[in-house]
Amino acid sequence: MMDEAMIRPAVWCRRLVVMTSKEFLQLARDWMLLVFIVYAFTADIYLAGSGVSLQLRQAVLHVLDQDGSAASRELIGRFQPPHFQLAGRITEGPREALRLLDRGQTMVVLDIPADFESDLLSGIPTRIQMQIDTSNSVQGFLASSYAQRITADFGTERAMAGLRAQSGGTGSMPRIVDDHRVWFNPNQNDTWFMSITELLTIITLFAVLLPAAAMVREKERGTVEQLLVSPLSSFQIMFPKVLSMTVVILIGCAVSLALVLRGMFHVPVRGSLALFFGVTTLFVFTTAGLGLLISTIARNLAQVGMMTILVFTPMLFLSGAWTPPEAMPVWMRTIMYASPLHYFIDTGFGILLKGAGIDILWREIAAMAALGGIIFGTGMLRFRNQFGN
Amino acid sequence: MNLRRVIAVSQKEWREIVRDRVFFALAFLVPVSMMILLGYGLSLDVEGIPLAVLDEDHSSASREYAYRFIGSRYFDFRGYVTSEHALNVLLTENRIRAAIVIPPEFEKRLVSGKSAAVQTLIDGTFPFRAQTTKGYIVAINAAANMDLLAAHLSKAFGVSQEVVRDRLQPVRLETRYLYNQSLKSIWSLAPKLVMLILMISPPFLTALGVVREKESGSIYNIYVSTVSRGEFLVGKLFPYVAVSMVNAGVLFVLATALFGAPFKGSVATFFAATLLYVICTTGIGLLVSVFVRTQIAAMIVVSIITLVPAVLYSGVLIPVFSLETTARMVAHILPAMYYTNIVTSCFMKGIGIASFWPDVVVLAGYALLLMGLGYALFRKRTKE
Repeated sequence: MMDEAMIRPAVWCRRLVVMTSKEFLQLARDWMLLVFIVYAFTADIYLAGSGVSLQLRQAVLHVLDQDGSAASRELIGRFQPPHFQLAGRITEGPREALRLLDRGQTMVVLDIPADFESDLLSGIPTRIQMQIDTSNSVQGFLASSYAQRITADFGTERAMAGLRAQSGGTGSMPRIVDDHRVWFNPNQNDTWFMSITELLTIITLFAVLLPAAAMVREKERGTVEQLLVSPLSSFQIMFPKVLSMTVVILIGCAVSLALVLRGMFHVPVRGSLALFFGVTTLFVFTTAGLGLLISTIARNLAQVGMMTILVFTPMLFLSGAWTPPEAMPVWMRTIMYASPLHYFIDTGFGILLKGAGIDILWREIAAMAALGGIIFGTGMLRFRNQFGN
Repeated sequence: MNLRRVIAVSQKEWREIVRDRVFFALAFLVPVSMMILLGYGLSLDVEGIPLAVLDEDHSSASREYAYRFIGSRYFDFRGYVTSEHALNVLLTENRIRAAIVIPPEFEKRLVSGKSAAVQTLIDGTFPFRAQTTKGYIVAINAAANMDLLAAHLSKAFGVSQEVVRDRLQPVRLETRYLYNQSLKSIWSLAPKLVMLILMISPPFLTALGVVREKESGSIYNIYVSTVSRGEFLVGKLFPYVAVSMVNAGVLFVLATALFGAPFKGSVATFFAATLLYVICTTGIGLLVSVFVRTQIAAMIVVSIITLVPAVLYSGVLIPVFSLETTARMVAHILPAMYYTNIVTSCFMKGIGIASFWPDVVVLAGYALLLMGLGYALFRKRTKE
């Protein structure tokens, strides 16, 4: 009796180790897959982090300057990078402007009338016209509001200069100076944001797909029957798949964090790295549970593939990684509370950029753990029922 | 190329697709559900930014200033706080994304004609949201300053505020929004979602379909048969292109009927260009399937080379001119950017093929290249 009690846990662990190493071996033999795992955690994140920005940058501007005066030149000179780039002048009139807009060769056309400066000098209100390509509505709106700001400042400064000259100085003026400070990412460095987002995306993709595929592959080839007649419990069959893929993902994440995020983009890691990896592990388990759930529904790998995009794409795009969650309708935001990625984004950015600790993030972590428990439990239950262990 | 053999391969493939009921259903369900979810959810409009205010002045001027933000639809007011530390905590906990600190003596300084500094704190983790928030704050602050200045000058010069305002704003900017006059974001988004979804789903279908035969070994039946490479590929891909074209039709209907996006161009031209694009993306799936041996690898490779680039480099969210050099190069290498131009031209601009034929030519070249590569690299003889 004593011996058995000693041996049992040892055997249990050995089985787990054997199964896990079987998974590693299978992965290592698919070299094309390995190449792409390496690519995803390095070059792909580098590409996303360098040179992609959601902000309005370098909007192409063409000017139709019918005045050609000092005032019009001064106004045009204010349309500067980073928001605008002056790409050229239109000489043939409005038809050329429209052609450029139609072909997508310019985004903004500024049309300054002939009597612009003389009107300004004689105090007559003057109008300038702007045409904006709003086929991308967000960028169009941003371009319009920057242009409004630039023209209003130009007008007010000229008027104030005129007033001062007229009255020999008007004394001091009341003014509210807005001093804004941007926290956590003071230069609004898109590189930090994009590379972290991309890393979270890649982690999610692998966490859903790899365990699900590893499981269904056994079903498709029939090798699951061999596993079922072996003395392994259903937990011992499923868990090693999740475990091995988690190890792979964590290694990838560590490499990417060290080489790309810190090494090349200098993303500050303000919080605890141990906490970050702890949360990542929890997230991978939770999401792998989702994959296992898929694997109990799907009968072949082709179905896994389609179901994965069915679950993965909305999760990815709507959890707040690509678009601000504030902009979503309320019902959709409610659905997203069931997405583990939603919590992972908050904690991931919180730890890396804000330096938040477990005292602040415990709610998100608890929610993720609860969600993971439910998903994993359901997956296990379905697996057991299916194969009647 | 023997047409009968091509048809035979197509029929076999079609039966295989249809008999796997779940797969067959998913092939149509995935694009539709993506369109609906992303159409409603994917929005870059920044509104309802959670905001808190720290008012250390407690004057009528400070309340009035704060109310300019509280009453704005761009902000969602979450309440006053009493210390800067509280703001700190709220920002770190993601409970607010912006905060305004009005210092003591705010009113006193303004009344005596001096400048008063107000501090705004913005959460910068999401740079796009931070930049837009900053834009709103600057605009609201400028409006407040204009009111102050107008009141001050009208008192100093003894003229009405309206006259002063006209003097202070001598230049009016009249803006005309082209192609999307009411700035509806769903109108710009829905057509581009057609592009995005047709970038993701056809390669998935195709790569899985071809690699499935490789992995299960049934491809040896083809290797030993009289069917030639070309016949096999054409027959094999035809059902997938057909399924994707049906999906394209459904997406078109969803974009116009459900989301109300205007379609101003020619439907025939649009679907002709879409066919080219679908052949391109199917070709990507084919090319992947030539290189990988397992379906797992096929899924990973397809999602990494289609999904992410389609979002980042195709102009869905980010215009191509905003990209930096490397990213812009990547954008020009992918077919998605050219199709985005075509989609925008057909849906929003309503201009004829005369304006976007270069994009169509590029797509056609792309389709030829991908299919040619797939044909050249596909072997009936295995290496082992």
